[in-house]
Amino acid sequence: MVAGRVARRKITMVLRNKVFLLLLRLIVGGVFIWAAVSKIADPLTFAQDVRNYRLVGQTLSFLTAIILPWVELIAGLFLIIGIFPRSSALLISGLLLFFIILVAITMLRGIDVECGCFGTFSRRADLWLIIEDTVWLIMALVLLFSPANEFCLLKPGSRVSN
Amino acid sequence: MKLREILSDRETWQGLAIILGLSVFLAVITQLGLIRRFWQGEFKQAFINRQEFPGLVFVSLAEAESLWASGEALLVDSRSREEYAAGHVPGAFSLPLVEVKSGQEDLLRLLPEDKPLVVYCEGGSCQTSLALAKILFSKGFKNIKVFSGGWEEWLQAGLPVEK
Repeated sequence: MVAGRVARRKITMVLRNKVFLLLLRLIVGGVFIWAAVSKIADPLTFAQDVRNYRLVGQTLSFLTAIILPWVELIAGLFLIIGIFPRSSALLISGLLLFFIILVAITMLRGIDVECGCFGTFSRRADLWLIIEDTVWLIMALVLLFSPANEFCLLKPGSRVSN
Repeated sequence: MKLREILSDRETWQGLAIILGLSVFLAVITQLGLIRRFWQGEFKQAFINRQEFPGLVFVSLAEAESLWASGEALLVDSRSREEYAAGHVPGAFSLPLVEVKSGQEDLLRLLPEDKPLVVYCEGGSCQTSLALAKILFSKGFKNIKVFSGGWEEWLQAGLPVEK
């Protein structure tokens, strides 16, 4: 009992450590920026990747392919430099949750596709991808629920308690 | 912080609106050329760059049938071996995309180099025929047609089937 409580307190301490949180922001934001840049550079390939999931038609695939990478880029960038970090973390968590559900549905439908995650550096949408995205999601959720965001360009408003 | 606090914070929603608005704005100004091409119907069938794949065209059921009936072109089936075995276009060559992708490229040597190839898959919104067509194109086959109606349309039209 006591040992469990001590361990929990230690985990909480790490999760609230300013440097740890900054590092997490760099990692999560960085991977989103990287994923976005490779897709912005080649929108047609990404559009076809989206289409291959066979969930939406040609027009929606096209719109997703040109807009989604920019959402990823700006959310990643804002998370790192600290402009609306809470909104960015919420958006990134939402996207990751969506990707996980999407890959799961695609696997259940028996469709074999490239995930389209990193543009031309693509890989297959499989169970490993779900596991990988879950790890990213956990990191994003830690950031979303972290008490304070230090080292920010725009300080969160007074309503955000420390 | 609790989720309820985050969601009831106006700043969260302001931030979301700004991120999304900025994304749409940047997407539109950076991809204006592509948007115009989409509008003109260039990507109606597939998202491929015409300059990158000259000679790769899409054909309808009627075109595919006449190419097949006259023996002018060879039909290539990009579905799995099992699906091919269950029924295919008579005389079609079985070239599953999964096998080509996993590196069995010696299969390509069995294809005639001088004949146009008509690639098809299940139909509906299947995409393996296009993926296979792109690979074939990059391997030197320059006269490639994709029959996007695929097996489904062929069956529905009551055309000959081989098992």
